[in-house]
Amino acid sequence: METSDKNPSAAPAPESRFTVSPMTLAADRWMGRLIRFGGVGVVLAVFGMLAFLIFQVFPLFTGAKVAAGDALSVAANAIAFGEDEYGDLPYVVLADGRVIFQRSKDGLKVLEWSPALANRHVSTVRSYPRSGLVFLGLSDGSVQELRIIYRSSFDSAGKRTIEPIVTALEPLQVGKPGLPCVDIWNAKGTQSRLMLVRQDEVGKPLLTAIRLTERKGLGGKAKVTVSAPFVVAADAASVDKVLLPSTAESLIVVSKSGEVRTYADDGTTFPFLQSFTPFKESTDAGVTSAGMIFGNVSVVFVGRTGAQQVWSMYPQLQPDGKSLRRWGKIHDGESLAGPGEGVYAAEGNKCYLAVAGGKLQLRNMTTGSLRWEGDAPSGAIRQLAFAANYDRFTALSADGKLHRWSIVDHHPESSWGAFFGKIWYEGATGPAYTWQSSAGSDEFEAKYSLVPLFYGTVKGTFYALLFALPIALTAAIYVSQFLRPEYRQVVKPVMEIMASLPSVVLGFLAGLWLAPLVDPRLISIFCAVGILAPAALAAGFLWSVLPQPIRRQVKPGMEFLWLLPFLAICALVAWKSGPAVEAAFFTVKDASSGLPIADFREWWRQTTGATYDSRNSLVVGFVMGFAVIPIVFTIAEDALSNVPNSLVSGSLALGASRWQTVWSVVVPTAISGIVSGVMIGFGRAIGETMIVVMATGNTAVMESNPFSGMRTLSANIAVELPEAASGHTHYRALFLGACCLFLLTFVINTLAEVLRQRLRERYKVV
Amino acid sequence: MASSSDSSTPRGEAWVWFSGLGLIIGLGMVVGLISLVILNGVTVFWAPQVPVATVDDGRTIIGQLAQRRIRAGSLASEPRYELQFQVGLRELNGNSYVWVDEAKIKSESFPPDILGLERVENGPAFVRPQSLRKSDGKLIPVTDPAFEDAFQVEVAAATNIREKLVEITRHRIGDVNSEMDKARVALRRAEDLKLAAEVAALRRQIGGLEERFASLQAEARAVVDRGAVASLVSRDASGREVVVPLTQVIRAWFPNRLDTWGRIKLFISRLGEFVFDEPREANTEGGLMPAIFGTLVMTVFMSLMVTPFGVITAIYLREYAQQGSVLRIVRISVNNLAGVPSIVFGVFGLGFFVYVLGGSIDRFFFADQLKYNNNTPVFGTGGLLWCSLTLALMTLPVVIVATEEALAAVPRGMREASLATGASKWQTIRDILLPASAPGILTGVILAMARGAGEVAPLMLVGVVKLAPTLPLDGAAPFLHMDRKFMHLGFHVYDLGFQSPDSDAARPMVFATTLLLICLVVCLNIGAIWIRNRLRARFKGASF
Repeated sequence: METSDKNPSAAPAPESRFTVSPMTLAADRWMGRLIRFGGVGVVLAVFGMLAFLIFQVFPLFTGAKVAAGDALSVAANAIAFGEDEYGDLPYVVLADGRVIFQRSKDGLKVLEWSPALANRHVSTVRSYPRSGLVFLGLSDGSVQELRIIYRSSFDSAGKRTIEPIVTALEPLQVGKPGLPCVDIWNAKGTQSRLMLVRQDEVGKPLLTAIRLTERKGLGGKAKVTVSAPFVVAADAASVDKVLLPSTAESLIVVSKSGEVRTYADDGTTFPFLQSFTPFKESTDAGVTSAGMIFGNVSVVFVGRTGAQQVWSMYPQLQPDGKSLRRWGKIHDGESLAGPGEGVYAAEGNKCYLAVAGGKLQLRNMTTGSLRWEGDAPSGAIRQLAFAANYDRFTALSADGKLHRWSIVDHHPESSWGAFFGKIWYEGATGPAYTWQSSAGSDEFEAKYSLVPLFYGTVKGTFYALLFALPIALTAAIYVSQFLRPEYRQVVKPVMEIMASLPSVVLGFLAGLWLAPLVDPRLISIFCAVGILAPAALAAGFLWSVLPQPIRRQVKPGMEFLWLLPFLAICALVAWKSGPAVEAAFFTVKDASSGLPIADFREWWRQTTGATYDSRNSLVVGFVMGFAVIPIVFTIAEDALSNVPNSLVSGSLALGASRWQTVWSVVVPTAISGIVSGVMIGFGRAIGETMIVVMATGNTAVMESNPFSGMRTLSANIAVELPEAASGHTHYRALFLGACCLFLLTFVINTLAEVLRQRLRERYKVV
Repeated sequence: MASSSDSSTPRGEAWVWFSGLGLIIGLGMVVGLISLVILNGVTVFWAPQVPVATVDDGRTIIGQLAQRRIRAGSLASEPRYELQFQVGLRELNGNSYVWVDEAKIKSESFPPDILGLERVENGPAFVRPQSLRKSDGKLIPVTDPAFEDAFQVEVAAATNIREKLVEITRHRIGDVNSEMDKARVALRRAEDLKLAAEVAALRRQIGGLEERFASLQAEARAVVDRGAVASLVSRDASGREVVVPLTQVIRAWFPNRLDTWGRIKLFISRLGEFVFDEPREANTEGGLMPAIFGTLVMTVFMSLMVTPFGVITAIYLREYAQQGSVLRIVRISVNNLAGVPSIVFGVFGLGFFVYVLGGSIDRFFFADQLKYNNNTPVFGTGGLLWCSLTLALMTLPVVIVATEEALAAVPRGMREASLATGASKWQTIRDILLPASAPGILTGVILAMARGAGEVAPLMLVGVVKLAPTLPLDGAAPFLHMDRKFMHLGFHVYDLGFQSPDSDAARPMVFATTLLLICLVVCLNIGAIWIRNRLRARFKGASF
């Protein structure tokens, strides 16, 4: 293509002189295509970014996907079941104590184990599927424990086969001898294991427990000490349901009338702790089902009408003024379709499955949200258990079927309410907006409320703008309207350099240099800053009353140079008088020595009861000013200096003073540009990350106190995203925060842009 | 705007003065901040006089003054100050820094025999030398006039030994180790796939590498043994004997004896180390070369990616796309992208580039690597490539807007003249528009580079680390390692300032790094401003 248009001599024929070389045309065509492709591609990529963020957040707002699998036919008198880790080889326990293992894919019976019990028979059975423990309650009040282990082996082709092994332990006398067991519970505490048996004495239920303490002997062999049986909850009028937390640290007994009595382990017995009636206000206070949620702190109760309540242990103020952990209602759940037929807690999260009115509902306890709803199997459910990794649950129904459902629910704890609502979390004393994404234990209830982060963002932005706007706007007015043009050439680049200061540097200086420096001199700084504005006004006033010859000394546009020494002196005097001011107004009694001290920080703490952090909102606001001032200044200055000269000249010609012109002609004309600058500054302050990360304590509190820190959306992402596991709720919650930031700044900037365009139109008209 | 010339007092003059206040504060903030950083950054390398201070409680302190602050709990009306001295000798004192109440210092003197030592380990030391035990075993007391010369000679010799050791242990053994790691991964793969020939070859290779490793270690030991190490016997402030082997000494100076020229030489030497050396002691000492290098490589890559895409998009938007309301929306959106917080780009970079793109690259091209190297991701984790891409996306609007403005500023006449002479659209763009708008584009790119170089928040998510063992660009094939994590000046400031276990020791380093970063960013910005001003001048003269 080079040759075609630069070397016409090679083509002497006159007609070809005017034809365009095909190379040129091809180059033009191809480059055109390339540019179109690239341009459209980049534009699409930009929009793709938002789409990707939304796509990442979307799974948070989908429910659980639960699919029912094939039901396995088992013996009709099966009353309990258990299964291996993958659910390949479940077992059922029959009423007579036999344990039958069946392959789940074809129902083939693999093993049948029968108890050898001489003259006793099995009166009740309880199975703990996740730990592989089965308890057979015998007719004489003793309990036999079965341990079920699956041994997996791999053959040469790498195929896994599992072989079940049943080990029966010697029966232990737990209950009153001679009375048949009606129900059995077992739980392993930190010190010992608790085995609890219910028997029915004439007209009155009897709960008896034993403790099994295991000690490792010298040879590595465990030695088990069995305590003497002791009666628990003897004061309960009737026993309808018993809930034993898996940590065995307390005991909850629900009576037929709906009264709940709780008992706490004191090391030997279970003394009475507290009683309450969840559905007291209801016409029928009966509790139809109750279930302990994973974590052993909360219980879901379902009443006869289908009403749900969640009760949890949290610190409560007692009449004697002490705060003790007691049970209290934390949620009123949605009503179920009918009286509850069972509440079964999931493992590893706060979900539970409620059975009522022929429906299964998978709900999250924390948010109360319905994750999934489906039809219950036809027969009454005898036992239901979730798999340890929350990927399926299995139910044994009274018609001899083992039903299985698979669950796909990656974000059980998320919902709109979880991110934006006020929630009463476990252990808290009331509903609150809380962000706390991680803690030491698995049983932790993750708290993903974005509200405190929004609050922190708005707070940081507010203080930044509070500081930056007056400076940026007055500077813009002065520079555009009064300053001599030759100084403008210097001032504008300096402001641009201010805009380019890396925020990590600002954050470092704020957090490590400024905050400790400001701390002891706060009042002096307040005095020095507070004096500036009146001093500047006073200087202007003084100048304007001075006689004309002296006034002439100050050339227009040079005022700021004269102002400088005057302000410096005023500020110095104010600074020096800071300690006196502090002594006069902020003297408090020192807590330790009892002597009066003049310390604003202590005064603030004692007077307002609020905290005082050295890395506080004022420091952040000041340093964020470095980021916001230049942006607001540049845009506002542009808007102001682009006001058509004819307007200014007209105003001055009519006799208005220069300030009158600015205030009543220039500023109103440029107001949309100024507002647009303010909005863009606002957008910048919202998204500022490093300054906030480094100059605040990053605690997600909701306090309007100017002397405390905050945690903003952006800082939260910077601090937590590196540790969040990809695809988890925490990760996606942070993406949600990023999405909100994106949309927020995008909308603000778009509005600002629209305003600026409107301004341009207006100037065109003028 | 003109001043009122009549004798009556114009109204609202006080407000004019008031508005001047905003300008004063704004300028004061910039000037104050930059001078603060320069002052604190430069003094890091300056060697001041080192006092011997006796304190009321009987302690004697030899140390360099580091900070002065108001004592916690002292009243604002009668502030009491405390001084922080860098006393060094961390192995003896437990901490290099001590705080002393200013009022309790009884006396201060500046004896000329105080020696400052910068050491490889345990930070600096301020001691009073007693004697030099030379490598041949001879003792030279400090009173001997030959002491200083002998000391300098021995320090030079010891430095030589130390550098040899570093060369062997860090570079040559490091190379062997990295080769060994690669061979082991390959071996695991070969064993798994039952490639007998390859297994044997790899075993041989690993055997050879192990031999090389052993011989290098032996060589290192020989270096240590051969150079019987000279050491300096001295006493610390409280009279304890301190024996410092000279291989530990990086730099030694007599702070109270140096003349100005000596201090300048020391300053330059320290500055040189800062810029050209690698960090030591958890980044609190030594140099910043990897961080400077990482920042530069990343910024260059970012601009290589952002420039073509930005320019093409701008050309498309201005020259090819149909002007209309859709384009207006697109343009506003692209502009507004510049206002989207940088951390959002980091989130996108992590979610899309690292996990989606990087994860797919790993699955398709590095499946073996994943399988046989404990699932260690190659591109599926943060790295240079993703950092550059993320920042390129972030700075894209800057380049697009600058290029669009530059294209719009090309006088209509030039474009029309070109088309009228028969040039095609592409020829016009290539030969007329792009050259004319090149300074504008360059301004945009420089501004983008400045923004990219100073940005930290997104990089924290997509691949910057506090200490990278290798550089992203080195002598090992394929020379440029886009998958490597790297160090960055801005992140260095954050990490040293906030994550460093010894914040006192890190403080001077943070200020120095800050100074360097600000210099880089401000220079880039001034460059952009200068080019833009020249550009304006050029178009003012254009006669179309």
